[in-house]
Amino acid sequence: MTVAQAAERLGLSVHAADGAIDSAITGAVVSDLLSYVMANGKRGNMWVTIQTHSNLVAVAALGGLSAIVIAGGFEPADDTVARAEEEGIPLLASADAAYTVAGKLWEIGVR
Amino acid sequence: MDDPVLAHQEFPILGRAYFLGGRASTSVKRVLSDCGVDAETIRRVSVACYEAEMNVVLHARSGYLSLDVHPDRVVLGIVDRGPGIEDIELAMTPGWSSATEEARALGFGAGMGLPNIKEQADEMRIESTAGEGVRLLLTFYTGGRQDG
Repeated sequence: MTVAQAAERLGLSVHAADGAIDSAITGAVVSDLLSYVMANGKRGNMWVTIQTHSNLVAVAALGGLSAIVIAGGFEPADDTVARAEEEGIPLLASADAAYTVAGKLWEIGVR
Repeated sequence: MDDPVLAHQEFPILGRAYFLGGRASTSVKRVLSDCGVDAETIRRVSVACYEAEMNVVLHARSGYLSLDVHPDRVVLGIVDRGPGIEDIELAMTPGWSSATEEARALGFGAGMGLPNIKEQADEMRIESTAGEGVRLLLTFYTGGRQDG
């Protein structure tokens, strides 16, 4: 499963780095604590969070994550979008709660 | 003894600049990649480096990060000017944090920084003088851990 396929099936909006959207997903991590994601996110994981600030991109880039999904109807900050473009990290968003996004990812086979 | 340095770089870190945090670590990752360091070592250095950089951003006025890449190891030095750590043993306790409410609301300050660093580095030396700052020296052996 690629980031693009998951985005399409969940109806996620794409805010940045759609050029990097064909990378494969290896699973997902759900947390709003950056250190938790640093310690537990695995290479290629999608990251579901309700944080919106630009430091998300540093965590995703350093951890080798495949995409950031901002859940709960929150919008990414402008500098988050800019930094995600810069680092080539796909930045997606959903109106669904983080719990629902995680459930849907599980349902389509992201495990 | 011959101990060549493949790369040496220094990066400044600005205290309280939450949203610039991670820039130095991202640069470090690029240098390691250019030097042909293996992916697992790059990942371990990246995690520790980010945590150390954010500690400076969250707690200190300013600091700098130095990177030395040798054929067999990567060495990071992080030195800051700030309040320092009064009780290092306490600060190493998972979950303990002195971060502000503002920082916590942004998802920092989980009290996992120093424990994450210790987990990733092969050698960790930390020194602090209260009221002056913290000096952290981390060594990562490339091509697999050398525990003990």
